[in-house]
Amino acid sequence: MKKALICALLLCLMAIPALAEEGDEQTIYRIVDEQGETVTWYCGQPEVGDEYIAGDNRHFRITGVDNTRRTAQADTLGVYEMPDVSWLYQDALPVASRQKAVAIYCTHSDESYEPTDGKSSDEERGGIYDVAEEFKAALEEEGITVYYSDETHHPHDAGAYRRSRATAVNLVEKGVDAVMDIHRDGIEDPDSYESTVEGEEMTKVRLLVGRSNQNAGANKAFATQIKAVGDEMYPGLIKDIYIGKGTYNQDLMPQAVLLEFGTYTNNKEDVLASTGHMAQVMNKTLYGSVSGAQAAEKQESKGAFGGIIWLVVLAVVGAGVFAFVSTGNGKAALEKWKGTFRELGGSVTGKKK
Amino acid sequence: MSVGMILLAIASVLVLFGVGQRVLDKMQLSDRAALILMAVIFFGGLLPDIRLGMVSVNIGGALAPVGVCVYLLIKADTKKEVARALIGSVVTAGAVYALSFLMPDEPEAIVIDPNYVYGLAGGAVAYILGRSRRAAFICGVLGVLLADALVAVMNWQKGINQMLHLGSGGAMDVVVISGLIAVLLSELVGELLERMARPGRENKDPVYTPVKEGKRK
Repeated sequence: MKKALICALLLCLMAIPALAEEGDEQTIYRIVDEQGETVTWYCGQPEVGDEYIAGDNRHFRITGVDNTRRTAQADTLGVYEMPDVSWLYQDALPVASRQKAVAIYCTHSDESYEPTDGKSSDEERGGIYDVAEEFKAALEEEGITVYYSDETHHPHDAGAYRRSRATAVNLVEKGVDAVMDIHRDGIEDPDSYESTVEGEEMTKVRLLVGRSNQNAGANKAFATQIKAVGDEMYPGLIKDIYIGKGTYNQDLMPQAVLLEFGTYTNNKEDVLASTGHMAQVMNKTLYGSVSGAQAAEKQESKGAFGGIIWLVVLAVVGAGVFAFVSTGNGKAALEKWKGTFRELGGSVTGKKK
Repeated sequence: MSVGMILLAIASVLVLFGVGQRVLDKMQLSDRAALILMAVIFFGGLLPDIRLGMVSVNIGGALAPVGVCVYLLIKADTKKEVARALIGSVVTAGAVYALSFLMPDEPEAIVIDPNYVYGLAGGAVAYILGRSRRAAFICGVLGVLLADALVAVMNWQKGINQMLHLGSGGAMDVVVISGLIAVLLSELVGELLERMARPGRENKDPVYTPVKEGKRK
Protein backbone atom coordinates (compact mmCIF):
# COMPACT_ATOMS: atom_id res chain seq x y z
CA MET A 1 0.00 0.00 0.00
CA LYS A 2 2.75 2.42 0.98
CA LYS A 3 4.75 1.57 -2.13
CA ALA A 4 1.70 2.36 -4.26
CA LEU A 5 1.27 5.66 -2.41
CA ILE A 6 4.89 6.63 -3.02
CA CYS A 7 4.64 5.68 -6.72
CA ALA A 8 1.47 7.78 -7.04
CA LEU A 9 3.19 10.73 -5.36
CA LEU A 10 6.19 10.47 -7.67
CA LEU A 11 3.94 10.26 -10.76
CA CYS A 12 2.08 13.38 -9.61
CA LEU A 13 5.41 15.19 -9.22
CA MET A 14 6.41 14.33 -12.79
CA ALA A 15 3.29 16.11 -14.06
CA ILE A 16 4.03 19.33 -12.18
CA PRO A 17 6.02 21.23 -14.84
CA ALA A 18 3.13 20.81 -17.30
CA LEU A 19 0.64 22.03 -14.70
CA ALA A 20 2.85 24.97 -13.92
CA GLU A 21 2.97 26.09 -17.55
CA GLU A 22 -0.83 25.93 -17.75
CA GLY A 23 -1.17 28.00 -14.60
CA ASP A 24 1.06 30.86 -15.71
CA GLU A 25 -1.83 33.14 -16.72
CA GLN A 26 -2.54 35.87 -14.17
CA THR A 27 -6.08 36.49 -12.97
CA ILE A 28 -7.24 40.07 -12.55
CA TYR A 29 -9.97 40.80 -10.01
CA ARG A 30 -12.12 43.89 -9.60
CA ILE A 31 -12.84 45.05 -6.06
CA VAL A 32 -16.22 46.76 -5.71
CA ASP A 33 -17.81 48.67 -2.84
CA GLU A 34 -21.37 48.39 -1.48
CA GLN A 35 -22.71 50.46 -4.41
CA GLY A 36 -20.99 48.26 -6.98
CA GLU A 37 -18.46 50.98 -7.81
CA THR A 38 -14.95 49.84 -8.70
CA VAL A 39 -12.55 50.47 -5.83
CA THR A 40 -9.44 49.03 -7.49
CA TRP A 41 -8.14 46.29 -9.77
CA TYR A 42 -5.47 43.88 -8.81
CA CYS A 43 -3.60 40.82 -9.89
CA GLY A 44 -4.58 37.56 -8.17
CA GLN A 45 -7.46 36.30 -6.08
CA PRO A 46 -8.32 38.45 -3.07
CA GLU A 47 -9.04 36.85 0.27
CA VAL A 48 -11.76 37.65 2.75
CA GLY A 49 -10.18 39.82 5.43
CA ASP A 50 -7.70 41.58 3.14
CA GLU A 51 -7.63 45.33 3.69
CA TYR A 52 -7.20 48.18 1.28
CA ILE A 53 -6.48 51.86 1.85
CA ALA A 54 -7.30 53.80 -1.31
CA GLY A 55 -5.46 56.86 -2.58
CA ASP A 56 -8.06 59.09 -0.88
CA ASN A 57 -7.59 57.09 2.37
CA ARG A 58 -10.95 55.31 2.20
CA HIS A 59 -10.50 52.08 4.13
CA PHE A 60 -12.02 48.80 2.89
CA ARG A 61 -12.12 45.19 3.99
CA ILE A 62 -12.86 42.33 1.59
CA THR A 63 -16.00 40.49 2.71
CA GLY A 64 -16.71 38.21 -0.23
CA VAL A 65 -15.16 36.89 -3.43
CA ASP A 66 -17.03 35.83 -6.60
CA ASN A 67 -14.62 33.70 -8.61
CA THR A 68 -16.90 33.32 -11.65
CA ARG A 69 -17.28 37.08 -12.12
CA ARG A 70 -13.79 37.73 -10.79
CA THR A 71 -14.98 40.41 -8.44
CA ALA A 72 -14.53 40.92 -4.73
CA GLN A 73 -16.99 42.67 -2.43
CA ALA A 74 -15.44 45.24 -0.10
CA ASP A 75 -17.09 46.91 2.87
CA THR A 76 -16.21 50.52 3.52
CA LEU A 77 -14.80 50.94 7.01
CA GLY A 78 -14.59 54.72 6.76
CA VAL A 79 -11.66 57.01 6.21
CA TYR A 80 -8.38 55.66 7.57
CA GLU A 81 -6.85 57.91 10.20
CA MET A 82 -3.47 58.66 8.71
CA PRO A 83 -0.49 59.73 10.87
CA ASP A 84 -0.06 63.44 11.54
CA VAL A 85 2.72 64.80 9.34
CA SER A 86 2.33 68.49 10.18
CA TRP A 87 5.99 68.35 11.25
CA LEU A 88 6.84 68.49 7.54
CA TYR A 89 6.05 72.22 7.62
CA GLN A 90 7.89 72.94 10.85
CA ASP A 91 11.41 74.26 10.86
CA ALA A 92 12.56 71.17 12.69
CA LEU A 93 16.01 69.72 13.07
CA PRO A 94 16.78 66.97 10.57
CA VAL A 95 17.88 63.60 11.95
CA ALA A 96 21.51 63.60 10.86
CA SER A 97 23.44 62.43 13.87
CA ARG A 98 23.82 58.88 12.57
CA GLN A 99 24.43 57.18 9.27
CA LYS A 100 21.32 56.90 7.13
CA ALA A 101 21.08 53.45 5.55
CA VAL A 102 18.40 51.47 3.73
CA ALA A 103 18.37 48.27 1.68
CA ILE A 104 16.68 47.38 -1.60
CA TYR A 105 16.29 44.13 -3.54
CA CYS A 106 13.95 42.54 -6.10
CA THR A 107 12.18 39.24 -5.32
CA HIS A 108 10.62 38.83 -8.77
CA SER A 109 13.73 39.15 -10.91
CA ASP A 110 11.96 38.79 -14.27
CA GLU A 111 9.47 41.65 -13.89
CA SER A 112 9.66 44.04 -16.84
CA TYR A 113 7.70 46.75 -18.62
CA GLU A 114 6.27 45.52 -21.92
CA PRO A 115 6.13 48.79 -23.94
CA THR A 116 9.81 49.61 -23.35
CA ASP A 117 11.47 46.31 -22.38
CA GLY A 118 9.69 44.41 -25.16
CA LYS A 119 8.21 41.81 -22.81
CA SER A 120 6.58 41.68 -19.40
CA SER A 121 8.89 38.98 -18.10
CA ASP A 122 12.58 38.60 -18.81
CA GLU A 123 14.03 35.36 -17.47
CA GLU A 124 17.58 36.71 -17.47
CA ARG A 125 17.30 40.10 -15.82
CA GLY A 126 14.05 42.05 -15.76
CA GLY A 127 13.63 45.77 -16.29
CA ILE A 128 12.72 46.01 -12.59
CA TYR A 129 16.47 46.13 -11.85
CA ASP A 130 16.74 49.39 -13.84
CA VAL A 131 14.03 50.82 -11.59
CA ALA A 132 15.78 49.55 -8.45
CA GLU A 133 19.11 51.04 -9.58
CA GLU A 134 17.52 54.42 -10.42
CA PHE A 135 15.80 54.38 -7.02
CA LYS A 136 19.13 53.54 -5.37
CA ALA A 137 20.85 56.48 -7.11
CA ALA A 138 18.03 58.81 -6.06
CA LEU A 139 18.27 57.66 -2.44
CA GLU A 140 22.04 58.20 -2.50
CA GLU A 141 21.43 61.75 -3.73
CA GLU A 142 19.47 62.25 -0.51
CA GLY A 143 22.58 61.25 1.44
CA ILE A 144 21.37 57.77 2.25
CA THR A 145 23.71 54.77 2.11
CA VAL A 146 21.96 52.11 0.06
CA TYR A 147 22.72 48.41 0.40
CA TYR A 148 21.48 47.14 -2.93
CA SER A 149 21.37 43.50 -3.95
CA ASP A 150 21.15 42.70 -7.65
CA GLU A 151 20.87 39.00 -6.81
CA THR A 152 18.24 37.22 -8.94
CA HIS A 153 15.62 34.78 -7.58
CA HIS A 154 14.31 33.01 -10.69
CA PRO A 155 11.83 31.59 -11.54
CA HIS A 156 8.84 33.86 -10.88
CA ASP A 157 6.78 31.61 -8.63
CA ALA A 158 5.74 31.43 -4.98
CA GLY A 159 9.20 29.98 -4.23
CA ALA A 160 10.79 33.30 -5.20
CA TYR A 161 10.10 34.56 -1.67
CA ARG A 162 11.93 31.51 -0.29
CA ARG A 163 14.96 32.31 -2.44
CA SER A 164 14.86 36.06 -1.76
CA ARG A 165 14.66 35.48 1.99
CA ALA A 166 18.42 34.85 2.11
CA THR A 167 18.98 38.15 0.27
CA ALA A 168 16.66 39.99 2.65
CA VAL A 169 18.28 38.48 5.77
CA ASN A 170 21.76 39.48 4.56
CA LEU A 171 20.57 43.04 3.92
CA VAL A 172 18.81 43.35 7.28
CA GLU A 173 22.04 42.21 8.99
CA LYS A 174 23.76 45.34 7.62
CA GLY A 175 21.87 47.31 10.28
CA VAL A 176 19.68 49.28 7.89
CA ASP A 177 16.77 51.52 8.89
CA ALA A 178 14.39 50.05 6.31
CA VAL A 179 14.28 47.30 3.73
CA MET A 180 12.34 47.63 0.45
CA ASP A 181 11.38 44.90 -2.01
CA ILE A 182 10.94 46.45 -5.48
CA HIS A 183 8.18 45.08 -7.78
CA ARG A 184 5.87 46.12 -10.57
CA ASP A 185 2.16 45.24 -10.68
CA GLY A 186 0.56 42.63 -12.95
CA ILE A 187 -2.71 44.42 -13.81
CA GLU A 188 -3.32 45.25 -17.46
CA ASP A 189 -4.67 48.80 -17.30
CA PRO A 190 -1.76 51.29 -17.46
CA ASP A 191 -4.08 54.23 -16.67
CA SER A 192 -4.62 53.07 -13.09
CA TYR A 193 -0.95 53.81 -12.40
CA GLU A 194 -0.41 56.87 -14.61
CA SER A 195 -0.20 60.16 -12.79
CA THR A 196 1.00 63.73 -13.11
CA VAL A 197 3.01 65.01 -10.19
CA GLU A 198 4.08 68.66 -10.21
CA GLY A 199 3.45 68.77 -13.96
CA GLU A 200 5.63 65.75 -14.66
CA GLU A 201 4.23 62.50 -16.04
CA MET A 202 5.10 59.47 -14.00
CA THR A 203 3.61 56.34 -12.53
CA LYS A 204 2.24 55.85 -9.04
CA VAL A 205 3.63 53.55 -6.37
CA ARG A 206 1.54 50.95 -4.52
CA LEU A 207 2.63 49.99 -0.99
CA LEU A 208 2.04 46.42 0.07
CA VAL A 209 2.31 44.94 3.55
CA GLY A 210 1.46 41.52 4.95
CA ARG A 211 -0.78 40.73 7.89
CA SER A 212 0.47 37.22 8.73
CA ASN A 213 3.49 37.91 10.90
CA GLN A 214 4.53 39.46 14.18
CA ASN A 215 5.67 42.67 12.45
CA ALA A 216 2.33 43.23 10.67
CA GLY A 217 1.31 46.15 12.91
CA ALA A 218 4.68 47.89 12.62
CA ASN A 219 4.85 47.25 8.85
CA LYS A 220 1.38 48.75 8.39
CA ALA A 221 2.31 51.77 10.53
CA PHE A 222 5.43 52.26 8.40
CA ALA A 223 3.41 52.07 5.18
CA THR A 224 0.80 54.56 6.39
CA GLN A 225 3.60 56.91 7.47
CA ILE A 226 5.11 56.71 3.95
CA LYS A 227 1.71 57.37 2.37
CA ALA A 228 0.95 60.30 4.67
CA VAL A 229 4.32 61.93 3.90
CA GLY A 230 3.95 61.14 0.17
CA ASP A 231 0.44 62.60 0.02
CA GLU A 232 1.70 65.83 1.61
CA MET A 233 4.85 66.16 -0.47
CA TYR A 234 3.70 64.85 -3.84
CA PRO A 235 -0.06 64.26 -4.10
CA GLY A 236 -0.76 61.57 -6.68
CA LEU A 237 2.53 59.72 -6.19
CA ILE A 238 1.33 57.03 -3.77
CA LYS A 239 -1.44 54.95 -5.33
CA ASP A 240 -2.70 53.08 -2.30
CA ILE A 241 -1.85 50.50 0.38
CA TYR A 242 -2.82 46.84 0.07
CA ILE A 243 -2.73 44.73 3.25
CA GLY A 244 -2.62 41.10 2.11
CA LYS A 245 -2.40 37.70 3.73
CA GLY A 246 1.23 36.95 2.88
CA THR A 247 4.38 37.76 4.80
CA TYR A 248 6.67 38.83 1.90
CA ASN A 249 9.66 38.35 4.24
CA GLN A 250 8.46 41.36 6.24
CA ASP A 251 8.69 39.26 9.40
CA LEU A 252 12.42 40.02 9.26
CA MET A 253 12.10 43.72 10.05
CA PRO A 254 9.43 46.10 11.36
CA GLN A 255 10.36 48.73 8.77
CA ALA A 256 9.91 46.58 5.70
CA VAL A 257 7.69 47.38 2.75
CA LEU A 258 7.00 46.06 -0.73
CA LEU A 259 6.85 48.81 -3.37
CA GLU A 260 5.11 48.31 -6.71
CA PHE A 261 6.40 50.84 -9.22
CA GLY A 262 3.75 50.95 -11.95
CA THR A 263 2.43 47.95 -13.84
CA TYR A 264 3.84 45.92 -16.73
CA THR A 265 1.93 47.94 -19.36
CA ASN A 266 3.48 51.27 -18.30
CA ASN A 267 6.45 52.87 -20.04
CA LYS A 268 9.59 52.32 -17.98
CA GLU A 269 10.57 55.97 -18.49
CA ASP A 270 7.42 57.04 -16.60
CA VAL A 271 8.27 54.56 -13.87
CA LEU A 272 11.86 55.80 -13.60
CA ALA A 273 10.53 59.37 -13.30
CA SER A 274 8.81 58.47 -10.03
CA THR A 275 11.94 57.10 -8.32
CA GLY A 276 13.39 60.53 -7.44
CA HIS A 277 10.15 61.69 -5.81
CA MET A 278 9.79 58.38 -4.00
CA ALA A 279 13.37 58.65 -2.69
CA GLN A 280 12.57 62.10 -1.25
CA VAL A 281 9.45 60.72 0.40
CA MET A 282 11.44 57.84 1.94
CA ASN A 283 14.13 60.27 3.15
CA LYS A 284 11.55 62.52 4.80
CA THR A 285 9.68 59.57 6.29
CA LEU A 286 12.78 58.01 7.82
CA TYR A 287 14.93 61.03 8.60
CA GLY A 288 12.74 64.08 7.98
CA SER A 289 12.96 65.77 11.32
CA VAL A 290 13.37 65.06 14.98
CA SER A 291 9.67 65.62 15.64
CA GLY A 292 8.77 63.60 12.53
CA ALA A 293 11.00 60.73 13.59
CA GLN A 294 9.46 60.84 17.08
CA ALA A 295 5.96 60.74 15.60
CA ALA A 296 6.94 57.82 13.37
CA GLU A 297 8.55 56.01 16.30
CA LYS A 298 5.41 56.48 18.38
CA GLN A 299 3.28 55.10 15.55
CA GLU A 300 5.62 52.14 14.97
CA SER A 301 5.97 51.39 18.68
CA LYS A 302 2.20 50.97 18.80
CA GLY A 303 2.45 48.38 16.04
CA ALA A 304 5.51 46.76 17.64
CA PHE A 305 3.77 46.23 21.00
CA GLY A 306 0.88 44.65 19.11
CA GLY A 307 3.46 42.32 17.54
CA ILE A 308 4.90 41.39 20.94
CA ILE A 309 1.42 40.51 22.23
CA TRP A 310 0.84 38.49 19.01
CA LEU A 311 4.07 36.53 19.62
CA VAL A 312 3.46 35.88 23.32
CA VAL A 313 -0.11 34.73 22.66
CA LEU A 314 1.13 32.47 19.83
CA ALA A 315 3.82 30.89 22.05
CA VAL A 316 1.57 30.41 25.09
CA VAL A 317 -1.46 29.14 23.10
CA GLY A 318 0.77 26.93 20.92
CA ALA A 319 2.36 25.29 23.97
CA GLY A 320 -1.10 24.95 25.53
CA VAL A 321 -2.58 23.23 22.45
CA PHE A 322 0.32 20.75 22.33
CA ALA A 323 -0.01 20.06 26.04
CA PHE A 324 -3.76 19.53 25.79
CA VAL A 325 -3.53 17.28 22.72
CA SER A 326 -0.88 15.07 24.33
CA THR A 327 -2.61 14.76 27.72
CA GLY A 328 -6.29 15.19 26.86
CA ASN A 329 -7.01 16.76 30.20
CA GLY A 330 -6.94 20.35 31.40
CA LYS A 331 -5.11 19.73 34.68
CA ALA A 332 -2.51 17.43 33.16
CA ALA A 333 -2.12 19.83 30.23
CA LEU A 334 -1.40 22.68 32.63
CA GLU A 335 1.27 20.56 34.34
CA LYS A 336 2.85 19.68 31.00
CA TRP A 337 2.62 23.30 29.88
CA LYS A 338 4.44 24.41 33.03
CA GLY A 339 6.95 21.59 32.52
CA THR A 340 7.74 22.82 29.01
CA PHE A 341 8.71 26.27 30.26
CA ARG A 342 10.53 24.75 33.28
CA GLU A 343 12.60 22.52 30.98
CA LEU A 344 13.35 25.46 28.72
CA GLY A 345 14.51 27.54 31.67
CA GLY A 346 16.45 24.62 33.13
CA SER A 347 18.40 24.02 29.96
CA VAL A 348 19.50 27.66 29.94
CA THR A 349 20.49 27.83 33.58
CA GLY A 350 21.78 24.26 33.75
CA LYS A 351 19.41 23.45 36.63
CA LYS A 352 17.90 19.99 36.80
CA LYS A 353 14.25 19.72 35.85
CA MET B 1 14.84 52.16 16.37
CA SER B 2 12.15 52.58 19.00
CA VAL B 3 12.10 50.65 22.28
CA GLY B 4 9.03 48.78 21.05
CA MET B 5 10.82 47.57 17.95
CA ILE B 6 13.90 46.47 19.91
CA LEU B 7 11.64 44.52 22.29
CA LEU B 8 9.79 43.01 19.32
CA ALA B 9 13.09 41.88 17.74
CA ILE B 10 14.21 40.35 21.08
CA ALA B 11 10.84 38.61 21.51
CA SER B 12 11.05 37.18 17.95
CA VAL B 13 14.53 35.76 18.58
CA LEU B 14 13.48 34.30 21.96
CA VAL B 15 10.41 32.58 20.48
CA LEU B 16 12.50 31.12 17.62
CA PHE B 17 15.14 29.98 20.13
CA GLY B 18 12.53 28.46 22.42
CA VAL B 19 10.66 26.61 19.68
CA GLY B 20 13.95 25.45 18.12
CA GLN B 21 15.24 24.16 21.45
CA ARG B 22 12.02 22.26 22.16
CA VAL B 23 12.05 20.67 18.70
CA LEU B 24 15.74 19.68 18.79
CA ASP B 25 15.22 18.34 22.30
CA LYS B 26 13.02 15.66 20.71
CA MET B 27 15.81 14.61 18.32
CA GLN B 28 17.70 12.30 20.69
CA LEU B 29 19.58 15.28 22.09
CA SER B 30 19.87 16.46 25.68
CA ASP B 31 18.29 19.79 26.67
CA ARG B 32 21.70 21.42 26.84
CA ALA B 33 22.87 19.97 23.50
CA ALA B 34 19.65 21.21 21.86
CA LEU B 35 20.27 24.69 23.22
CA ILE B 36 23.90 24.69 22.06
CA LEU B 37 22.84 23.49 18.61
CA MET B 38 20.27 26.28 18.40
CA ALA B 39 23.04 28.74 19.29
CA VAL B 40 25.21 27.24 16.50
CA ILE B 41 22.32 27.68 14.04
CA PHE B 42 21.76 31.25 15.23
CA PHE B 43 25.37 32.48 15.42
CA GLY B 44 26.58 30.28 12.54
CA GLY B 45 23.93 31.98 10.45
CA LEU B 46 25.65 35.32 11.04
CA LEU B 47 28.98 34.05 9.66
CA PRO B 48 29.79 34.59 5.97
CA ASP B 49 28.67 31.83 3.58
CA ILE B 50 31.12 29.25 2.25
CA ARG B 51 31.32 29.78 -1.54
CA LEU B 52 31.92 26.82 -3.83
CA GLY B 53 31.61 28.08 -7.41
CA MET B 54 27.93 28.81 -8.03
CA VAL B 55 26.91 27.37 -4.66
CA SER B 56 26.86 29.31 -1.41
CA VAL B 57 26.40 27.41 1.87
CA ASN B 58 25.62 28.90 5.25
CA ILE B 59 26.87 27.26 8.45
CA GLY B 60 23.84 27.98 10.63
CA GLY B 61 21.18 27.81 7.94
CA ALA B 62 22.35 24.66 6.14
CA LEU B 63 25.38 22.86 7.58
CA ALA B 64 24.11 22.68 11.17
CA PRO B 65 20.59 21.40 10.27
CA VAL B 66 22.10 18.93 7.76
CA GLY B 67 24.50 17.82 10.50
CA VAL B 68 21.50 17.05 12.73
CA CYS B 69 19.92 15.09 9.84
CA VAL B 70 23.10 13.03 9.37
CA TYR B 71 23.24 12.37 13.13
CA LEU B 72 19.61 11.23 13.12
CA LEU B 73 20.17 8.95 10.13
CA ILE B 74 23.22 7.36 11.83
CA LYS B 75 21.28 6.89 15.07
CA ALA B 76 18.25 5.40 13.27
CA ASP B 77 17.22 2.00 14.65
CA THR B 78 16.68 0.28 11.31
CA LYS B 79 17.67 0.65 7.66
CA LYS B 80 13.97 0.90 6.88
CA GLU B 81 13.77 4.06 8.98
CA VAL B 82 16.70 5.55 7.06
CA ALA B 83 15.10 4.64 3.73
CA ARG B 84 11.76 6.17 4.79
CA ALA B 85 13.43 9.42 5.81
CA LEU B 86 15.40 9.67 2.57
CA ILE B 87 12.42 8.79 0.34
CA GLY B 88 10.37 11.25 2.37
CA SER B 89 12.96 13.96 1.71
CA VAL B 90 12.76 13.39 -2.05
CA VAL B 91 8.95 13.41 -1.96
CA THR B 92 9.00 16.58 0.18
CA ALA B 93 11.39 18.20 -2.32
CA GLY B 94 8.86 17.39 -5.05
CA ALA B 95 6.07 18.83 -2.94
CA VAL B 96 8.06 22.03 -2.23
CA TYR B 97 8.80 22.36 -5.96
CA ALA B 98 5.14 21.75 -6.79
CA LEU B 99 3.84 24.18 -4.18
CA SER B 100 6.17 26.89 -5.52
CA PHE B 101 4.50 26.57 -8.92
CA LEU B 102 0.94 25.92 -7.86
CA MET B 103 0.59 28.54 -5.13
CA PRO B 104 -0.12 32.15 -6.14
CA ASP B 105 3.05 34.11 -6.83
CA GLU B 106 1.77 37.69 -6.92
CA PRO B 107 2.02 39.28 -3.47
CA GLU B 108 -1.64 40.42 -3.43
CA ALA B 109 -2.82 36.88 -4.14
CA ILE B 110 -0.85 34.95 -1.53
CA VAL B 111 -3.29 33.17 0.79
CA ILE B 112 -0.88 31.52 3.22
CA ASP B 113 2.77 32.37 3.21
CA PRO B 114 4.58 29.71 1.13
CA ASN B 115 7.54 29.80 3.53
CA TYR B 116 5.34 28.19 6.21
CA VAL B 117 3.73 25.68 3.86
CA TYR B 118 6.95 23.81 3.02
CA GLY B 119 7.35 22.65 6.61
CA LEU B 120 3.72 21.49 6.67
CA ALA B 121 4.42 19.44 3.52
CA GLY B 122 7.53 17.90 5.11
CA GLY B 123 5.64 17.03 8.29
CA ALA B 124 2.72 15.52 6.35
CA VAL B 125 4.98 13.41 4.11
CA ALA B 126 7.05 12.20 7.06
CA TYR B 127 3.95 11.27 9.01
CA ILE B 128 2.43 9.32 6.10
CA LEU B 129 5.67 7.46 5.46
CA GLY B 130 6.89 6.70 8.93
CA ARG B 131 5.00 8.46 11.72
CA SER B 132 8.29 9.75 12.97
CA ARG B 133 9.25 13.21 14.21
CA ARG B 134 12.90 12.51 13.38
CA ALA B 135 11.92 11.76 9.78
CA ALA B 136 9.79 14.93 9.81
CA PHE B 137 12.84 17.06 10.67
CA ILE B 138 14.90 15.34 7.96
CA CYS B 139 12.12 15.74 5.38
CA GLY B 140 11.59 19.41 6.27
CA VAL B 141 15.29 20.30 6.07
CA LEU B 142 16.49 18.10 3.19
CA GLY B 143 13.24 18.59 1.23
CA VAL B 144 13.76 22.37 1.00
CA LEU B 145 17.49 22.03 0.24
CA LEU B 146 16.84 19.45 -2.52
CA ALA B 147 14.09 21.62 -4.02
CA ASP B 148 16.46 24.61 -4.07
CA ALA B 149 19.13 22.49 -5.76
CA LEU B 150 16.59 21.25 -8.33
CA VAL B 151 15.52 24.82 -9.19
CA ALA B 152 19.18 25.85 -9.50
CA VAL B 153 19.96 23.00 -11.90
CA MET B 154 16.92 23.92 -14.02
CA ASN B 155 18.03 27.58 -14.08
CA TRP B 156 21.56 26.62 -15.10
CA GLN B 157 20.18 24.40 -17.87
CA LYS B 158 18.30 27.44 -19.20
CA GLY B 159 21.54 29.43 -19.15
CA ILE B 160 20.54 31.55 -16.15
CA ASN B 161 23.65 32.04 -14.00
CA GLN B 162 21.94 32.31 -10.66
CA MET B 163 23.75 31.51 -7.43
CA LEU B 164 22.40 28.57 -5.42
CA HIS B 165 22.06 29.73 -1.81
CA LEU B 166 21.69 26.95 0.72
CA GLY B 167 20.40 28.20 4.05
CA SER B 168 21.89 31.67 3.50
CA GLY B 169 19.19 33.21 5.70
CA GLY B 170 20.77 31.53 8.74
CA ALA B 171 18.38 30.84 11.62
CA MET B 172 15.65 32.72 9.77
CA ASP B 173 16.06 30.67 6.61
CA VAL B 174 13.22 28.56 5.28
CA VAL B 175 15.40 25.43 5.76
CA VAL B 176 15.37 25.91 9.55
CA ILE B 177 11.75 27.11 9.72
CA SER B 178 10.62 24.17 7.58
CA GLY B 179 12.41 21.62 9.78
CA LEU B 180 10.83 23.07 12.93
CA ILE B 181 7.31 23.28 11.47
CA ALA B 182 7.55 19.71 10.11
CA VAL B 183 8.35 18.33 13.58
CA LEU B 184 5.62 20.39 15.25
CA LEU B 185 3.04 19.20 12.72
CA SER B 186 4.03 15.56 13.00
CA GLU B 187 3.99 15.85 16.79
CA LEU B 188 0.55 17.48 16.82
CA VAL B 189 -1.02 15.06 14.33
CA GLY B 190 0.68 12.08 15.94
CA GLU B 191 -0.48 12.95 19.46
CA LEU B 192 -3.99 13.72 18.20
CA LEU B 193 -4.36 10.42 16.33
CA GLU B 194 -2.80 8.41 19.17
CA ARG B 195 -5.22 10.00 21.61
CA MET B 196 -8.21 9.25 19.37
CA ALA B 197 -7.07 5.63 18.96
CA ARG B 198 -6.72 5.02 22.71
CA PRO B 199 -9.57 3.12 24.45
CA GLY B 200 -12.03 5.40 26.24
CA ARG B 201 -11.24 4.09 29.72
CA GLU B 202 -7.65 5.26 29.46
CA ASN B 203 -8.86 8.79 28.97
CA LYS B 204 -10.60 8.60 32.32
CA ASP B 205 -7.25 8.33 34.03
CA PRO B 206 -5.34 11.24 32.57
CA VAL B 207 -2.27 11.17 34.78
CA TYR B 208 0.57 12.91 33.04
CA THR B 209 3.82 11.02 33.24
CA PRO B 210 6.76 12.75 31.57
CA VAL B 211 8.35 10.57 28.91
CA LYS B 212 12.04 10.68 28.16
CA GLU B 213 11.77 12.28 24.73
CA GLY B 214 14.95 10.65 23.46
CA LYS B 215 13.30 7.26 23.78
CA ARG B 216 10.53 8.24 21.38
CA LYS B 217 10.92 8.30 17.64
